[in-house]
Amino acid sequence: MENSKRTDESRRSFLTGVAGAGALAALGEAATLREALAQSAGAPAAPAGTVTNEAIKAAKVPAMQYHSERPITGSVPAHEHDFEFTPTDRVFIRNNLLTPDLDINLHRLTLKGLVDKELTFSVAELQKAFPVVSMAGMLECAGAGRTNYQPRASGTPWGATGGMSCPVWTGVRLKDVLAAAGLKANAAHVAGQGGDPGAVATAAPVIRSIPMSKALDENTLIAWGMNNGPLPKVHGYPLRLVAPGWVGSASTKWLHTLTVLDAPFKGTYMTGSYIVPKWPVKPGEKMPPDTVSTQAWPIKSMITSPAPDQVLKGTERIMVRGKAWVGEGSVGRVDISFDEGATWHRAALERERDKYAWRTFTCEYVPQRFGHLTFLARATDDRGNMQPIAPYWNPLGYFWNGIHRVGVMVVPA
Amino acid sequence: MSRREAVRAAALAAALCCTGASAQDEPLISGPGSTLTENKCKICHELQHIKRAQLSPGEWADNLRNMKERGTPMTDDEMRMIHEYLSVYYNRDKPAPAPSPDTLASGGDDPMQKLLNANACNGCHSIDKRVVGPSFREVAAKYAGDRGAPARLATKIRAGGQGAWGAVPMPPNPALPEAELQRIAAWVLQQK
Repeated sequence: MENSKRTDESRRSFLTGVAGAGALAALGEAATLREALAQSAGAPAAPAGTVTNEAIKAAKVPAMQYHSERPITGSVPAHEHDFEFTPTDRVFIRNNLLTPDLDINLHRLTLKGLVDKELTFSVAELQKAFPVVSMAGMLECAGAGRTNYQPRASGTPWGATGGMSCPVWTGVRLKDVLAAAGLKANAAHVAGQGGDPGAVATAAPVIRSIPMSKALDENTLIAWGMNNGPLPKVHGYPLRLVAPGWVGSASTKWLHTLTVLDAPFKGTYMTGSYIVPKWPVKPGEKMPPDTVSTQAWPIKSMITSPAPDQVLKGTERIMVRGKAWVGEGSVGRVDISFDEGATWHRAALERERDKYAWRTFTCEYVPQRFGHLTFLARATDDRGNMQPIAPYWNPLGYFWNGIHRVGVMVVPA
Repeated sequence: MSRREAVRAAALAAALCCTGASAQDEPLISGPGSTLTENKCKICHELQHIKRAQLSPGEWADNLRNMKERGTPMTDDEMRMIHEYLSVYYNRDKPAPAPSPDTLASGGDDPMQKLLNANACNGCHSIDKRVVGPSFREVAAKYAGDRGAPARLATKIRAGGQGAWGAVPMPPNPALPEAELQRIAAWVLQQK
């Protein structure tokens, strides 16, 4: 055991120093270990064509909590989101495969399938051909908040409020690009495919499709910008789909092909993942045969201030602040409880701007006593759907939108 | 090699180079099927993805079918063995039994197979079928009649390589003890 561990570590330290596939090929059959090591000296730490996790993490805040290195996943908790929109260094990371290192000048986007004419764009052509729009929009992993589920569901163990972000996106509307190609009468779904590589040649490409109603929504973008900067590599550079308010996997990163189909795409990322039972199952049961594909997020909210376990001086006003959002329709209201849900008080809600962006809510409270105090936030959408205490359990742990609860200590001034 | 193939190939090198890298990535509980499970799952992700999941046998079956669809190179028989192992050792409803020797490790007590398992050779190679890399028989056939074969193959195992069998690179094995390296090379060349 000791020996095999040492072997693994040596393999790793050797490989991280090798320039990658090219360098390995260049070693040739006659190369000795000494020559191999000499050739690797001073070479970049990333294998050709991919970005190292170290480089990705260097651009993120220390508060980012990582759950996996292969594939890389990470996010910040609610109280680290206390900004108008999510800064780039706090946007959550969720890869299915590895992070490709693509060249914006060589990158092409092809639109094909049930269109009148197939189109191919460079990034510069796309930027010139259509009106450019900027908008804030929710990006949220289907499994956000998964660790709230009991029993534990399979998948990335996002924390109670982990796995979601709301940055400002810049790009062109998908509907404008589809109109330029011309849709056939039977066009029903648009499948996005990205250039992220798997670890083996047999790795299935990550392909997800969205129905035409979402593809033609004016808030669905082909984006190249995040918070007025370029998309970071881990977030899809140079191009990605943004289907705001829907499960994050609908927003294909490293987008290179859009295919217009007459039905949902059939592939493992459509039929084996990102599905929920059509009817609720007993917690702990396996996926039943009747399933539906995950799409829009239901109504949800979180408290971004105060932070959990914050110590507050008694008798001073406490401003409870947070975010509320929904993937379809609008946020109707947000209520706050200071007594574990016995009574509720309506929070002030910022007006709606971008349709699928989160909205800030605030509610002032003057503590009536010292000791431990809790805040609960509960949002209701414009159709009357209210956040539950805990949503229905499902085998892959998707769509957690239970009421968020934050506890603080109130001490004498 | 196309750009996409090159990226895939590089990605495999990246994936393999992280094998056993993190402190959280200690081995699975030793038991019948643990070696096969480690070899197959580690190709694409850390073992902590398994260790932090406690699922029912039905959920593990769904999970394995998913992984197969996503491209895990494993046969139906291997999938059954892995399912049996996970259902016993990482089960939501039943505590795991005490660790025991992996009696199902390919080759069982065969010392050569133990060596191949310990160095993760069996994750990507098998005797008579292509998995990620060529079968050991294909390698032996390639070197047939070459008097310098043992030394050349040993060098290849030591330094890794790419191109002879396609775009996916083989990682180097710099820390493999020289005697074990020679044994493996000699054994591979006997597989005809």
